[in-house]
Amino acid sequence: MLDDVTTDKPVLTLKDLSIEFPTPAGVVQAVKALSLDIHKGRRVGFIGESGSGKTTTALAVMQMLAEPGRVSGGTIDLGGTNILALSEEEMRSARLSRVAYIPQGAMNSLNPVMRVEPQMWDGIIAHEGHLERGELKRRSDAALQSVGLPLHTAGLYPHELSGGMKQRVCIAMGIILNPELIIADEPTSALDVVTQRQVMQTLKAIQTQIGSGLMLIGHDMGLMAQTVDELAVLKDGALVEHGTVQQILEAPAHPYTKDLISSVPLVGGESFLNPDARADAPKRASSEPLLRFENVRKDYGSVTALHPMSFTLQGDTPQIISIVGQSGSGKSTMGSIMLGFNPPSQGRVLFEGRDVAGMNAAQSLDFRKNVQAVFQDPYACFNPFYRVNHALKFPYKQFGLATSEAATQRAMEAACEAVGLDPDLVLPRYPHQLSGGQRQRLIVARALMLSPKLLIADEPVSMVDASLRASILSNIYDLKDKYGISILYITHDLATAYHVSDFVMVLFKGHVVEAGPPKEVIGAPRHPYTKLLIDSIPWPDLDRSWGDGRTDWDPTKLEAEAARAEAIYRGTVPGFDLIEEAPHG
Amino acid sequence: MSGAHMTRAERRQARRIRRFDNPWLNPKLIWGAGLLLSIIFIGIVGRVLWDLELVFTGSSPLKLPPLGFENLRGQPGVMAHPIGTDGGGRDMLAMIIIGAPNTLFVGLLASLIGMSIGIFLGFSAGFLGGRIDDTIRVGADVMITIPPLLILVVFQSAFGDVTLTMMALLIAGFVWQSPTRLIRAQVLSMKQSGYVQMAQLSGASTSHIMFREMMPNLVPYLFGSFIASVTTSIVTAVGLEVLGLGPQRIPTLGRTIYEAINAGALIQNLWWWWGIPTLLLGVIFIGLLLINLGLDEVSNPRLRRLS
Repeated sequence: MLDDVTTDKPVLTLKDLSIEFPTPAGVVQAVKALSLDIHKGRRVGFIGESGSGKTTTALAVMQMLAEPGRVSGGTIDLGGTNILALSEEEMRSARLSRVAYIPQGAMNSLNPVMRVEPQMWDGIIAHEGHLERGELKRRSDAALQSVGLPLHTAGLYPHELSGGMKQRVCIAMGIILNPELIIADEPTSALDVVTQRQVMQTLKAIQTQIGSGLMLIGHDMGLMAQTVDELAVLKDGALVEHGTVQQILEAPAHPYTKDLISSVPLVGGESFLNPDARADAPKRASSEPLLRFENVRKDYGSVTALHPMSFTLQGDTPQIISIVGQSGSGKSTMGSIMLGFNPPSQGRVLFEGRDVAGMNAAQSLDFRKNVQAVFQDPYACFNPFYRVNHALKFPYKQFGLATSEAATQRAMEAACEAVGLDPDLVLPRYPHQLSGGQRQRLIVARALMLSPKLLIADEPVSMVDASLRASILSNIYDLKDKYGISILYITHDLATAYHVSDFVMVLFKGHVVEAGPPKEVIGAPRHPYTKLLIDSIPWPDLDRSWGDGRTDWDPTKLEAEAARAEAIYRGTVPGFDLIEEAPHG
Repeated sequence: MSGAHMTRAERRQARRIRRFDNPWLNPKLIWGAGLLLSIIFIGIVGRVLWDLELVFTGSSPLKLPPLGFENLRGQPGVMAHPIGTDGGGRDMLAMIIIGAPNTLFVGLLASLIGMSIGIFLGFSAGFLGGRIDDTIRVGADVMITIPPLLILVVFQSAFGDVTLTMMALLIAGFVWQSPTRLIRAQVLSMKQSGYVQMAQLSGASTSHIMFREMMPNLVPYLFGSFIASVTTSIVTAVGLEVLGLGPQRIPTLGRTIYEAINAGALIQNLWWWWGIPTLLLGVIFIGLLLINLGLDEVSNPRLRRLS
């Protein structure tokens, strides 16, 4: 019974745990002699880059290591039970009832053809046999209530729920048998900041309520600082630092921990950029503005993703314009409209005075050369069939920039060096041999080689490890500063937008709600939606009351309030004119 | 660690790892290709070494058993006809030498044509979208529900005697649907992928995107689909031949089985007459299956196992 576990005995004890994966290139040590205790009611964060062994450790505790991985040494002790000695059947009954696993992508973890309720019952039935329907219903309702979901959720299918609700259903399923230990593997990585805050609050509240241990896996130092009691920093499979959050934030001992902490950009904090001498924008033949939106509107069926919007980007001095908002705010739609991938439902997009929709072949090629992009997913941007230099070489030749094979090679090498990559090491490789950070830098290098006039950066760092984000952003910033390229930076991350941009537009449900220079808009927000976004960002600041389980923080209500508020314009910058939307109502 | 000190399990592990490194060293693939090549080998070497005149009716004694066996009349097998003769006085070995490659040829040709149609339609549907996509998709879906044998029986009886190529063409009309659907689905998902968007940003032409960016990534699927449709084509061809349709004057494995059944070979215990062509068909199908399984492992590294 749970009650028999004395409080001083840890829920989970890892002792010299080592995990290895035999691969063609030799045995890879995924986890090296890791020792750690998780006590009852304590929240322990595992932080590190992808590949640092944090998920592998969690899976080993569940006995769910992927083939051919194996525990090569050490012990895993779950509240007095040696996990590694359990049989398949004993382990099955321990899962969920004693240790619950909340996976990363809740949207993929729920059965799409089953209603929520029977999926929750499955867990109970698998452990306790068939119970009366009334009893099952009572327990699933209690679990849903405890994660703050309305009871009618039980009768819905997963596709009828939002991402945050699905993740909370997963939490409800995880705690339905009151486990001693909850393992949450990046439970909010697919959610936007507002939902993230809500889900983390739920998780903390329920964990406190049932008094279990929590193992939270993540890579976001800010989120960790706001959520956990203890922090374990992993690097290359080894535990490099372990202590309370207070200790680690105030006096990080290991250089890697210091890197992790300093890589979190803060609003108003010190800039991670080192602005260079300002370059002039490339000489333009046309006196027309670089990019102009004329009443552009986009509908998907009956949903309006972007309400009529007009702005003019002059482009004579290089600028970074940030477009921030949650998923579904219409910011990525704006990006694809600018790139000409997605024709607007109404209005015109003009590039140097020419309508993007009505270009002939030569104009179109010129437009392509001058408007380039960096996309969110660096893993998908390279054709797996070719070596990565194909992605750099092909457009260079296509746009007639290449004079000879040797010149192309030189240009590629120079571009790689400019973004801090070793060309000999990187260029002849296949995409799967490079890390996400390296690939994203190569995409930046590609943009640099083509020297476009405008770059659309759509969430360029959201899929890159936290420790690399700052350096990739400064690579992008250099494009503006050293090479004079105007940039439209599309992001959900207000802190980075604060530092890099000259002008910020906050988008909410396809409307601009607040716009102006970043120091005003993000530094001192006035619109309720901007305030909501900024309140939701987890920072590594222990004094902030971010995830303290307050129940009065209700994003739905705040969003409704934000929807009623008028747009606020906080001043302009020369070279960028946003036409104000007529007040509604 | 030297080889002598490795345990058997370790050596096996090392072999598996080597296989993991070079996926083409897949045992299934090698065995499958070997079986098919042996059929082609029989066809080539047989044409050089054996007297092909023996396929004509009455060129040999009737119903002789293979070497080392006796038929119901007590006649032993003879060296001149090592795997026996049939009821029409034709030498079985000569029939196999000509017939087995013919069967393979019909299957390969039919699915080659079918795949080409499938690639063309699949790419058009996936890439162009809109009304073209609707038409192609509905067309393929409708064709998939029609049992090919039914239509082909009608066609072939109307044509009477057909050539091998003609038969392959007719069968090809029924093996393009699944490649079309498969390629359409792949193209649709690839069209959204980052590298295709990157190619668009690079000012690539549609044909460049189709053939240089998408096609190389489709190769494993195309191979797998090709092998699957060779199997379907051969099954269809043999089905027609066993019904007595298809080419009347050219020996194929199916035609031989048809004649054996027709002449009552089963009752007369002339097992070699129908048994040997059936065995060869089995070899062809197993070969194709192994190639398909092997290709699966080549194109999908997750199926390759280390332990």
